[in-house]
Amino acid sequence: MLPIILLSVFGIVLLFMGFLKSKVLLLPATLVFILAALATTFMDWGKTYLYFQNMLLTNNLAILFTTIVLLSAFMVVALSNSFIEDEQAQPAEYYALLLFSLVGAIMMISFENLIMLFVGVEILSVAMYVLAGSDKHSPRSNEAALKYFLMGAFATGIMLFGIALLYGATGTFVVSGIKSYVYTNAYGVSLLLYMGIILLLIGMLFKVSAAPFHFWTPDVYDGTPGLFTAFMSTVVKTAGFAALFRVLSVSFVGVYSFWWGTLAALTCLTLLIGNVTAVYQTSFKRMMAYSSISHAGYLLIGLTALGTQTKQALVFYSLAYSLATISAFGVLLVVSRQRQDTNGVNENFDAFNGLARQNPLLGFVMAVSMLSLAGIPLTAGFWGKFMIFTTAADKGIYWILVFAVLMSTVGIYYYFRVIIAMYFREGAAEPVKVAPFYRYVLIAATILTLVLGLAPGLLEGLV
Amino acid sequence: MLSDFGIILLFILAAFAFISLVLFGASFLRPDRPNVEKMSTYESGEEPVGNANVQFNIRFYVVALIFVLFDVELVFLFPWATVFGQKTLINETKGLWGWFSLAEMSIFVLTLALGLAYAWVKGYLSWVKPQQKIPTVDTKVPQSLYDQVNKKYQPKAKASQPASGTV
Amino acid sequence: MKPIEIVFYVLTGITLLSAITVVTARNPIHSVLALIATFFCLSGHYILMNAQFLAAVNIIVYAGAIMVLFLFTIMFLNLRREDEESKTNLTKMAAVVVGGILMVTMLLVFRAVQLPAVNEGNFDARTGLVEQLGIMLYSDYLLPFELASVLLLVAMVGAVMLGKREAGDRHF
Repeated sequence: MLPIILLSVFGIVLLFMGFLKSKVLLLPATLVFILAALATTFMDWGKTYLYFQNMLLTNNLAILFTTIVLLSAFMVVALSNSFIEDEQAQPAEYYALLLFSLVGAIMMISFENLIMLFVGVEILSVAMYVLAGSDKHSPRSNEAALKYFLMGAFATGIMLFGIALLYGATGTFVVSGIKSYVYTNAYGVSLLLYMGIILLLIGMLFKVSAAPFHFWTPDVYDGTPGLFTAFMSTVVKTAGFAALFRVLSVSFVGVYSFWWGTLAALTCLTLLIGNVTAVYQTSFKRMMAYSSISHAGYLLIGLTALGTQTKQALVFYSLAYSLATISAFGVLLVVSRQRQDTNGVNENFDAFNGLARQNPLLGFVMAVSMLSLAGIPLTAGFWGKFMIFTTAADKGIYWILVFAVLMSTVGIYYYFRVIIAMYFREGAAEPVKVAPFYRYVLIAATILTLVLGLAPGLLEGLV
Repeated sequence: MLSDFGIILLFILAAFAFISLVLFGASFLRPDRPNVEKMSTYESGEEPVGNANVQFNIRFYVVALIFVLFDVELVFLFPWATVFGQKTLINETKGLWGWFSLAEMSIFVLTLALGLAYAWVKGYLSWVKPQQKIPTVDTKVPQSLYDQVNKKYQPKAKASQPASGTV
Repeated sequence: MKPIEIVFYVLTGITLLSAITVVTARNPIHSVLALIATFFCLSGHYILMNAQFLAAVNIIVYAGAIMVLFLFTIMFLNLRREDEESKTNLTKMAAVVVGGILMVTMLLVFRAVQLPAVNEGNFDARTGLVEQLGIMLYSDYLLPFELASVLLLVAMVGAVMLGKREAGDRHF
């Protein structure tokens, strides 16, 4: 509860800090604000609180998801020193919108009332639409914002219709109220409930870019300025899966047999489309967009095989995925900016040619992040995939397991293309320069990935 | 016995009936001799040029957007106004309700007022004026000489005849 | 048929007709006008459901303010000539199939569903009126209400940030 209030206030403060002559203070102030929110998040640790007549519920799971979201935001903001140097940029507004979008994300993580879910989704989405179009002079950025906005607004509408039908069926917006409705009417649930579940799922799956609601993802991720893409693919996805987990595991667990088949089919479709299409990409950023679709597929396995292990697996996977994605985008940002080709910033695979020789650190960071995304042992990504696959095995859904393993071998191919380009190709001679603070953030993300890969038990028992 | 909605329905029907009555009556009574001049669109006495469907200036857009947002805020104020001063609620809570609801609404309005203040200070609300282009002449005569001439022949008072020949 | 049912069916017919006009009209301005008609019809439905405040809000916000924005956008884009359709037949087919499936599913669900009958004994005629709404909104739903102000603030900041004229932009 407190982080929501704090982040709202801090966002307004940042907005007005933009009027100061010097922009130097903005970046450290934002970092301090996010840390303050993180600190207050932990005040509720170990307890379960309901706030404001069943509006918000904080428990350890919500706190862990909030931590992942805030940590991702912290790292993204820490990598944003280019805003201050850029003449066109409006850093105060960007930071304020990022903080506001975190308010939405935390609401999506810890809602107890579906109204809160809706308002949270809207706050997060509206901020993202604006940030997608923040590079006003780039037609691609404009296209990304418009596409995201039109499709996103449509998806939110569908979701709202679903919520309305759920209310019609159960007479309540409260997540646990829907649960008790399902249990008391175990043999005669209203058909409206099924319709509501389907529509709510469509809206949420759109937000986490699961197939077949993924069509916006490549264009939007590609056109959005790099940092905001990193934010989108980590914070929005984590919050979306936290919200999906809460509705599915609390409200709709009683009708598991109704939705698991649909979700399993969508999971396979997502894995197939994400992994296979990523193979054909020449742009690294587009590859990351398809890779984020495929990771939505892996996370969906955990929801399809909903069980006692699911929350642990989701938390670990989201953390591993966020860390790897942010360090990958961090490296991409410096490299693409300093190795420009005729079209401006070069976001293709060939930008990374020979990177490991000129700049071993960047090469190593990128290599670890790619290995983690591919799920190679000794990285966090491996254990994330392991836990997710374990949930499917526990539930006895072996065919989905086999399919997912097959798809992750496809994934290894396109992640290794980057590593091959960095280590075995000849590239530009001049080394890529990295600011010191930027370097520390990348190192920290890489170390965290390796530590979680070596000692996956660190997060065990927290939820 | 009519309900309140019945009265409103009657009112609407009466409005339609009255308007059609008046218009039809007028069309029976008046002479009907149209010509090109009469059929053209009335545009404050100006000769109408082209279609009314022209490209709008973008400067209206931001103002319209902010207007919509405050319209939504206004919608929230209505239900608040009906319950804010309710005697029974205030008595039940020993006066707490009034202060409570006042604080709620103050926070809400203040947040949006801050947004408005932000847009205002940033200058987004001020009218975007086209930049004036000062014509420049490529000549060897320095600007100071022109200034001297201008100063010399400057009209003495404001009400004097319009200066001819000055730029 | 009871008079209220006649009103409902007539209103529904007009609503559907004007909604179809919104989609099919070639001229965008006609579309917007049909959309306004749709909003008025929807307000009529709200009144039939005893939600007068919602009806008024629908007129003020949707038929008033949001339509102004729609018109601005259309005027701004200057869509005077009737553009040829850019959609391929495949897209249209896919849209028809998907929309058709959704419609059939919903029709089946709504036909099969058993709605509880209204108990006229404990029916509160004030439900849906503005006082009830106010009491609910400012006690139970206080938190979403306050956070809606954050949503509006985000929208405002975003709108002025994106809508602002830059130094290099074209001047209209």
